[in-house]
Amino acid sequence: MPEVEYSTRMALSRELVWEFVKDMNNWAPMLTGYQKHEIVDDTDSVWTLKGDVGILSRVVRLKAHVTEWLDRDRVAFTLEGLNEKVDGGGLLVMEDVTADAPPAPAPKRRWFGRRFLDWLARRMFRRMHGAGPMRLAAPTAAAGTRLTFTLRMEAGGPTGPLVNAMLGPALLPAAEDLANKIAAHLEREHLPRADDDAAA
Amino acid sequence: MWFRKSHKWQLEVDVVVIGSGAAGAVAALAAHAGKARVAVLEKTDKFGGTTAVSGGVVWVPCNRHMAELGITDTLDDAVAYVTRLADGRSEPALIRRYLETAPEMIEFVEGATPIAFKALGRYPDYHPEFEGGRPGGRSLDPGLFDTNQLGAWKDRLRRSPVFGMTAMSVSEATDWGVFSKPSALPFGLLAKRFKQGLVCYGGALSGGLLKALLDRGIEPMLGAAADELLVDDDRVVGVRARQGDKDLLIAARRGVILASGGFEWNADLCRRFLGGPVTHPNSPPGNEGDGLRMAMALGADLGNMSEAWWCPSLQVPGEEYDKRPLHRGDFATRSLPHSVIVNRRGQRFVNEAHNYNDLMKAFFAFDPVAYERSNLPAWIIVDQQYLDRYALMTYVPGMPIPEWLVRADTLDELAATIGVDPRGLAATVTRFNRFAVEGVDPDFRRGESLYDHFYGDPEHKPNPNLGAIEKGPFYAIEVHPGAIGTKGGARTDRDARVLRPDGTAIAGLYAAGNVMAGVTGAGYPGAGATIGAAMTFGYLAGRHAAAREK
Repeated sequence: MPEVEYSTRMALSRELVWEFVKDMNNWAPMLTGYQKHEIVDDTDSVWTLKGDVGILSRVVRLKAHVTEWLDRDRVAFTLEGLNEKVDGGGLLVMEDVTADAPPAPAPKRRWFGRRFLDWLARRMFRRMHGAGPMRLAAPTAAAGTRLTFTLRMEAGGPTGPLVNAMLGPALLPAAEDLANKIAAHLEREHLPRADDDAAA
Repeated sequence: MWFRKSHKWQLEVDVVVIGSGAAGAVAALAAHAGKARVAVLEKTDKFGGTTAVSGGVVWVPCNRHMAELGITDTLDDAVAYVTRLADGRSEPALIRRYLETAPEMIEFVEGATPIAFKALGRYPDYHPEFEGGRPGGRSLDPGLFDTNQLGAWKDRLRRSPVFGMTAMSVSEATDWGVFSKPSALPFGLLAKRFKQGLVCYGGALSGGLLKALLDRGIEPMLGAAADELLVDDDRVVGVRARQGDKDLLIAARRGVILASGGFEWNADLCRRFLGGPVTHPNSPPGNEGDGLRMAMALGADLGNMSEAWWCPSLQVPGEEYDKRPLHRGDFATRSLPHSVIVNRRGQRFVNEAHNYNDLMKAFFAFDPVAYERSNLPAWIIVDQQYLDRYALMTYVPGMPIPEWLVRADTLDELAATIGVDPRGLAATVTRFNRFAVEGVDPDFRRGESLYDHFYGDPEHKPNPNLGAIEKGPFYAIEVHPGAIGTKGGARTDRDARVLRPDGTAIAGLYAAGNVMAGVTGAGYPGAGATIGAAMTFGYLAGRHAAAREK
């Protein structure tokens, strides 16, 4: 199953990040292609996303089921396609980092072709969804929290191999997009802005 | 506009081509071969126009590849065939010009590009039984194209939202049973080809043409929308275009070739000119009649304005292409067993398996007493047997039944849900099921033509296009009027020069493709007739323009 992982760092406490992440209503609208979501109960929700499948965009409804919930630590969930034959899941992990901690481990070096595909996918993704959130602070500048988002998706059925070929390169930009949007939102809410400093 | 000599050109070339579909690309190559310096303007941010999203097949009677397959052809046969289909709406001299020049054009394109065409021996003309029709060989397949050959331009080649992800040549699609055995397609191989950057159909044709342009140092100007022809001393001398926030004045010392496509995405022009409503066009949304408006502004004569390359369209809610709703042309659903098309009275009204262009004309039938179009809206009805065997847009057997299909356990319930007369539908299905058993459709002759069979299921007996609708649940989807392009526009002469109403040519102005008055009139002779005529008149335009004195 194609799986990607993306980490970003915020100069914010884990408690603060958790307060935001623990409520899916907060970050579901930050999902790439978000159209709407419905909370079914404590563990289940249905997300409606407009996803880019290769060249065109298509609306997909996914049932998200929370499988692991560790306070201030992690949320794991599974995804099941309701109108398309796709399955997958995700994991959001929060960790404390100190100021001198090394940056997030670099993702495993991939073969050139795959890196090119990732680059191309990012480029297309940004063209379709915009340049992505502006971060207020350099993500490795201070002590705080590292947010890691792991996402895996796989299409099934007879056309699965083909859909996966298109889906695979789109996963990493989607994971980056969500993690960065969460970080950018929290930084905007809780970190002093440069113009605030200037005004002071 | 009358060009004032005080204006300063931002770019000076011999020939400006407006549009990057097959007509424009071949025009540019032909002009370049005639030693002209060429600029190609493309309004969208992708190269390839309508061609790039099409099947990419080129219809050329008397081509040498059909001869290689042992299929004979004659110019007289082709002329007789196209003349009948044109229904008096095209000029005999232009029909002959197309058919006698097309083989030469193909030789030129094969010499100038990496494309190696292959005759589709089993792809019949759209009326193969008519005088001069052929059971195959006139439609040419461009094969596959490796987009890595385009270097930095790889990402700028327009991709089809329907064929752009499944790199199989038309020959392979035919051999693999793309319509009748969708589950058996080699999806693993197609995934591998997708990752490798291979494209097929119109992507392959456009890719090969783009490669040839780039090899000649002609870099198409993307995002450059021409909006005005510049005239000096009764002669078109250039173009005003807008690229981003820049206004460009481009000099065309020898001529301007309009190859900007049809007007099917311009609702106003469609309403004013077309013989039927086109609510769901199948082409890229950039086709808004820009070239037509520019030609009209110079007093061009018009022809064939009520016609389009009609195509029934289906829609998956939420699907978009270029930020507009995607309308998928339906080529096979209605031809396969266990399907019918009915109107609101629940009645069939046409041979559903007939070619998409002529089929649509039955949708526009007008009841003068009720003062309404009798066959709009219309629905395709299929049963569970259909979905167990065949594909329907994005659905392939083995996948969940799509939510966008209206589903009901009985035909009565289905009729009630979609607003169709249940008694009419029941009577229609009972009668159709008898035809399916007998293998003959005396009402509309479905399954009689070799063309119908091409899109049917060869393993279904006794007729590859007729199967009973009897196993629930039953499903319906609305069929919308669409077009892969309009084909009315500026009238031209034998060299694609745009004419005034008095028959004189507007000096320095040419038209090819869907912006010109379509040479096939009302008809659609065979797969690739759109592109075949477009490339041929593009070739003639480019060659003639280049030969003009500066």
